[in-house]
Amino acid sequence: MNSKSDAARAEELSRKRARALPVLGVLFISQQLVFFSSPARDRMVDHVHIGAWLILSVVMLLALTTGGGWIYPRSVRQLANDEATRVHRDDAFRYGFLAAMVACIALYVVTLFEPFGEREAIHLILTVGIGMALLRFGLLERRAMRDA
Amino acid sequence: MPERLYNRLKELRTEAGLTQAELAERVGVTRKTVNTVENLVFTPSALLALKLAEALNVPVEELFWIER
Repeated sequence: MNSKSDAARAEELSRKRARALPVLGVLFISQQLVFFSSPARDRMVDHVHIGAWLILSVVMLLALTTGGGWIYPRSVRQLANDEATRVHRDDAFRYGFLAAMVACIALYVVTLFEPFGEREAIHLILTVGIGMALLRFGLLERRAMRDA
Repeated sequence: MPERLYNRLKELRTEAGLTQAELAERVGVTRKTVNTVENLVFTPSALLALKLAEALNVPVEELFWIER
């Protein structure tokens, strides 16, 4: 009975995650466009904005690493993070790493011609890396859910 | 031509009268994983392949084969 319930809840968690992650990835990246279109100054509101982005980045990174669903029991989370999910996550991290490296190379080239602050550079690399990993993980999970 | 792992999972599961969810529960994975193995989207580990064969009561080589 308990095992059946765990399977149903793991299925529910997988579906929610597959729906939410690509949306979160797009939101995470698009929100940063606002930051880059109007760079932060030294006002209180800018510090709050940056602080919120940093917290969101840590939460997204933890969600990617652990599979999220922290309100579910451990047995459900373990089932939802089964073999296929772990492979999807590894692939997502690979994409995220590659995207971050491409961002680093692009930034290096840009800084040859334009000054670029180190905090802005870190912001950009983190956003690209985490955003790409979120998108890839979400898309792989959605594809796996098709016809399920 | 690259090697690819094929399977008769859907056919043997249907013959056994099991749904994807029931088979998934027997081997301790989600329905999504069974679905991706059936659709050749995901290549299972040796451990999962053996568990699937055991759950369907067939030898693993009857369930999976390599095509070159």
